[in-house]
Amino acid sequence: MGRFWAIFFILAAVVTVGFSAIGPEFRWWFPGDGLAHSTLGKKIDDLFYLILIIVSVTYVGTHIVLGYVLWRGAGIQKSDKVWFSHGSHALEVIWTIVPSGILLFIAFYQMDVWRNYRVKAYFPKKTAAVAEVTARQFEWRIRYPAPGKILQPRPQPDDIYTVNDIRVPAGQPVSISLRSDDVQHAIFVPGLRVKQDAVPGLVIPVWFEVTDTGTYDMVCAELCGWGHYKMKAQVVASSEEEFEAWKVNAAKEQSYDGVPQTPEAVAAKADDE
Amino acid sequence: MSTVTPDVGHPGAGGHDHDSHGHHGHGHAEPSPLSLLWQLPTFSCDHKVIGLQFLITTLMMLMVGGALALGVRWQLAFPWERMPILGDTVFKADGGQIAPETYTMLVTMHASVMIFLVIIPILAGAFGNFLIPLQIGADDMAFPTLNMLSYWFMWPAIACFGASFFFGGGPAGGWTSYPLLSALQQAAPGSGMAQTLWLVGLTLIGVSSMMGSVNYMTTIINMRAPGMTLFRMPLTIWSMFITAILQAFALPVLTAAGFMLVADRTLGTCFFIPSGIVVNNAAPTVGGGQPLLWQHLFWFYSHPAVYIMLLPAMGMVSDMLACMSRKPIFGYKPMVYSMAAIAGLGFIVWGHHMFTSGMNPALGMTFMVSTILIALPSAVKTFNWLGTMWGGRLQFNAVMLNCIAFVSMFIIGGLSGIFMAAVPVDIYIHDTYFIVAHFHYVIFGATLFGCFGAIQFWFPKMFGRMMNDTLGQIHFAITFIAFNCTFFPMHLLGVAGFPRRYADPYHFPYLEHLLPLNQFMTIAAIIMGFAQFLLLANFFGSMFFGKRCGRNPWNANGLEWTTPSPPGHGNFDIPPVCYHGPYEYSSPLSHDNDFLPQTEYVPLAQRQAIAQAGH
Amino acid sequence: MLRCKMTLPHWSSFLGGLFVLVLASGCSKNPEAQFAWRDSTLELLPKAQDAVQQSITEGFGTPHDLVAWDKLPVDFGGVQGVVQPAVEGAKLSATEFQVQWDGTEDGIGAGSELLWMTGALAKSKTPTATVISYQPETKTLRLKTKNDAPAQGDRLAVGLGHQLQLGRMVYMKNCNHCHGVAGDGNGPTAQYLNPRPRDYRLGLFKFTSTLSSEKATREDLQRIVKYGIPGTYMPSFLLLDSKHNNFHETTAVVEYVRWLAMRGEMEKRLVDELSADYSQTALADEAEKEKKSYAEAKSEYDKARKAGNKEAAKPESAKSLTQLKKAAGEELAKYLEVDYPGTLNDTADFIADAWKRADDPASRIVPTVTRVADDAASRERGRLLYMSDKTKCYTCHGAKARGNGPAVEDFWKKPGSNETYAKRGLHDTWGNPLPPRDLTRGQYRGGRRPIDIFSRVYAGIKGTPMPAFGGTVLKDNDIWDIVNYVMSLPYEEQSPSAKPAAAPHMAATEPVGQ
Repeated sequence: MGRFWAIFFILAAVVTVGFSAIGPEFRWWFPGDGLAHSTLGKKIDDLFYLILIIVSVTYVGTHIVLGYVLWRGAGIQKSDKVWFSHGSHALEVIWTIVPSGILLFIAFYQMDVWRNYRVKAYFPKKTAAVAEVTARQFEWRIRYPAPGKILQPRPQPDDIYTVNDIRVPAGQPVSISLRSDDVQHAIFVPGLRVKQDAVPGLVIPVWFEVTDTGTYDMVCAELCGWGHYKMKAQVVASSEEEFEAWKVNAAKEQSYDGVPQTPEAVAAKADDE
Repeated sequence: MSTVTPDVGHPGAGGHDHDSHGHHGHGHAEPSPLSLLWQLPTFSCDHKVIGLQFLITTLMMLMVGGALALGVRWQLAFPWERMPILGDTVFKADGGQIAPETYTMLVTMHASVMIFLVIIPILAGAFGNFLIPLQIGADDMAFPTLNMLSYWFMWPAIACFGASFFFGGGPAGGWTSYPLLSALQQAAPGSGMAQTLWLVGLTLIGVSSMMGSVNYMTTIINMRAPGMTLFRMPLTIWSMFITAILQAFALPVLTAAGFMLVADRTLGTCFFIPSGIVVNNAAPTVGGGQPLLWQHLFWFYSHPAVYIMLLPAMGMVSDMLACMSRKPIFGYKPMVYSMAAIAGLGFIVWGHHMFTSGMNPALGMTFMVSTILIALPSAVKTFNWLGTMWGGRLQFNAVMLNCIAFVSMFIIGGLSGIFMAAVPVDIYIHDTYFIVAHFHYVIFGATLFGCFGAIQFWFPKMFGRMMNDTLGQIHFAITFIAFNCTFFPMHLLGVAGFPRRYADPYHFPYLEHLLPLNQFMTIAAIIMGFAQFLLLANFFGSMFFGKRCGRNPWNANGLEWTTPSPPGHGNFDIPPVCYHGPYEYSSPLSHDNDFLPQTEYVPLAQRQAIAQAGH
Repeated sequence: MLRCKMTLPHWSSFLGGLFVLVLASGCSKNPEAQFAWRDSTLELLPKAQDAVQQSITEGFGTPHDLVAWDKLPVDFGGVQGVVQPAVEGAKLSATEFQVQWDGTEDGIGAGSELLWMTGALAKSKTPTATVISYQPETKTLRLKTKNDAPAQGDRLAVGLGHQLQLGRMVYMKNCNHCHGVAGDGNGPTAQYLNPRPRDYRLGLFKFTSTLSSEKATREDLQRIVKYGIPGTYMPSFLLLDSKHNNFHETTAVVEYVRWLAMRGEMEKRLVDELSADYSQTALADEAEKEKKSYAEAKSEYDKARKAGNKEAAKPESAKSLTQLKKAAGEELAKYLEVDYPGTLNDTADFIADAWKRADDPASRIVPTVTRVADDAASRERGRLLYMSDKTKCYTCHGAKARGNGPAVEDFWKKPGSNETYAKRGLHDTWGNPLPPRDLTRGQYRGGRRPIDIFSRVYAGIKGTPMPAFGGTVLKDNDIWDIVNYVMSLPYEEQSPSAKPAAAPHMAATEPVGQ
């Protein structure tokens, strides 16, 4: 039976590795096309794959050893002598130093991505504050400054509002001010690798630079009550011009007064001016 | 092929079982096998009875927590379809379709039951109580009455948790209970009385744990048998000792935080509540508090608690691995130091749960370094376990299989932790199923498999009978396969951006294609859940029908194996004297046998000769 | 009356069924979701109850067996058409023929189900054929069926009810747990919410673009579903737009909600018709009254007898409840036979007409003048109107528009009775407490466009004490003045001096991470 169990554990390791390897085939991997669509996201992906390689090598390595140990251990008879050893100082030193080197490398290698992402002094110089995103149970309410204006901390009469729909220009660093109206929420845009909690009482700036225009799913990533899963939203990144045009249009729609714009009325208005 | 079945020491059949069955050879009578069991309903101060009380209570709670987990899995596989039992009773009018707050309740209570009523008490409460006096050669704990109370304080806590189900559908703030969801009564259906009861229950569990840990520390420091120096203690004792220290220092913080939160909820204080917050159109909060404060306080306890949920299992597995490999533990002192390092570092890594919370980013960097470094002692331990098995005569019985699973699963759980320790990657991974996979690999894959092994390893000591090994192996195989089928895919779900605690993730088009995979996982989880009845059947059945065994069925070295099975009141026939460490298996000093009990005296000259031979 | 029954496909996968057996062995039959009846329905005498329940079930079905009643102005989905003659005199094939459609045939695709409505094949009330493919260029259907060939001119419907089915599925996933299976606003989550979820069964919706006497339009409901109601637990389902067989989830769920509203209102009206005479409470009241009057008459009689009046007539003994029930039962049987079918028909017509009318452009509020320029003068005029006795806005919304006018301190009477509500303040038609809106918070439940606020003032808010001012009390330009005033309220405190200096870069993102 011993050999059977050795194979059992080896097979388990082989199956897990194989399963991970076929994952991307079935789209059990990063969402969408599998790529990050923000500048920081790309770096995060690079780090992810770096760790994945280190971890995979370690996993396979330790399991080869484990498999070997089990296979060999199963074959040792009662009459055989076992290796009587209380340990090896040299080995202990090696397997302390080597992993600590690798681990420290991982830690320090991550630092600047984190710094650029969160430390305000290292934000890109020309970050445009596009919107204030307020999370509430169970939706995202978004406030933009009127076309040509800059975002103010307090609502302005000409602000533009959307719900569950964040519009940003692509190709330039933008930031949103994240707030919460009630409990804690978290903004999570998988396609952009952006995540930040919205903490009641704080206004937290989140910056990102979308590299490709498109629509990205956005979800809530902090348990916020029964409707946690309902906070379905999207980030729409468009070109700067389209973004401005959208804003102008949205401002117009928001000031709709219900009076049909007949051609005569438009003409009359033109005459007045 | 090595012996698979342990030496059960029948009267007359026991070969080298030096302290074999009591009917013969020894003058005093062995206690009846069920002598501990009959004391269960009493307020016994005997550490063994208390240990058994903890064990059986936690096994029951394991089934409760498992049932809640199956509810969660059911909803993830068949969202909004009729849920068996719960849907049929509570949600009959809706065709058995549960409400979303019920899902968050299931998630919350599954975690709460499993962590607070299963894992923590089964390790420290059940095995800590049962093993500490036996393994250090003491006749009982230092404070038997306190010990008794520590068990009976579990019950008010269980009652609180149980009662909370009847208010607003049960607490639904997650086991982390982040304010304001947990601080404002109106924030969610489960945020009312249910949440208060949950917090009171949590505090009571804390009281119970604290009484235990004070006891363990005192006992281990003061009551070791003659010759049982610190570095002759089994690693189980070391792990219990370190766990007790962790508990004693971390728990007060959680208890304080719990009181503050209860005060916020009931007395109108605002430790965690900022001003001007309106939920459910209630009056705006007056405020001045900070929700992040709770996260700091909570994780200051709950991160060390993660090690409280792991270290004892590490210790026990070390004991079992050495015994079943018939080899000394590889690198005893590095094992001890690495446990101490884990405990020490465990206090300064709590912030890694809060990388995306908006705390000062500079803190994020410090926490990242300390967190990544905590992988180091874990790695050292893993290598030492492999070293222990290397070249050993492995006994592939149910105990050993569970221990090997522990090592294998701990490697996966540990390695996946590195992704989260790396802050930038954690930005993406945080609060997705990757985390869920990670901590289930550590808490279930490692700790619970360790416990399954430990139950079967020390069962003979509890009841004087063996558990059925074949049934144990079948239980192991089913659980192991189903466990991996359930939890391994969660890594991939996490990478796919599958968020935690979603009643209906398929609401999002980018997750829709993950439904079949989730159905597969749910089937595996159901199989895994039902497989635990095998364990229960084996456990309770073997109490009555298991093969009788002697004092030392495994041919192990520890002091506990020199006592009768089960040990009577006061444990030892004569106060034991300890002559060497607990892992002298296959030592050249033990002439005929492949083990050398700690009580067996070996003349100094021989020992020196062996030492000089370079072992 | 044409009814097309459609059975809902059970959307559980095969796995669901399999493990139900494993887990619930010993449990009884699967529960099915059911439309809860009104309390007042259950109050009726059993026969009356049966009649109401039967007619509602016939017209609307059960959650698992929806009925498409063609009298109702609901877009059940699907398209009808007429079989065209075969080419050059050949015989019509059973499986392939051309169809002239009544509307657009976008929804037709492989798997759509076909129902024969006239002709020899129209025997079954459930679909008897499935579409294999459809060619839009030649308008040719290919079918999988066991039927005979149709005749030229036979009417058929394809995909009938698909929209309602989709609506129900979307509703059960997203809406059911608050609004309840029957749309009674009484799902499992509802009891924890403030304000409570809408009960559709009065056919009333608060935020509409229609005149005060009209129902909501489809667009109104769409807006609510898409953008949510700020300040309540009704979230925005803006992205709920996946398409199934060319039906949009949002459109479908709005149809389903309208359908539920019609069902609820139908039930209510029928019950109201019957409950005055045939409900348990009415009869109990009557028995009580009988008893009382008999007691009075008896005491009078006794007095008269005592006084020596021997001619005083002995009063008839009071009818017992059983007697009353028996009499009512007989009357009811007659009523059900003679009048009830007509009542049923009229009620259905009435409801159908009301909903049809809502989508008529004539029902819509259209300001006759464009928005008055939003300047200080207009706002001042608005403020004066707000404070005037003509509108009395301040009595509820308060002089400072904080939603704390004197009206919130009073106890109000329940409509149609002398009882007052248990709680102070205003209540809505559903009997829930309803504080007047705090207009300084900038939170507009019915939308923040000027036309939205205009509509609120013009037509009031249905089912609430907010009255309609349009047409009679205020002229359109007066309303615009009020709109301008109201919309300026949230910003009033931000006088230029109090405004924080316009920060140059990332103004709104100051305090972070200490």
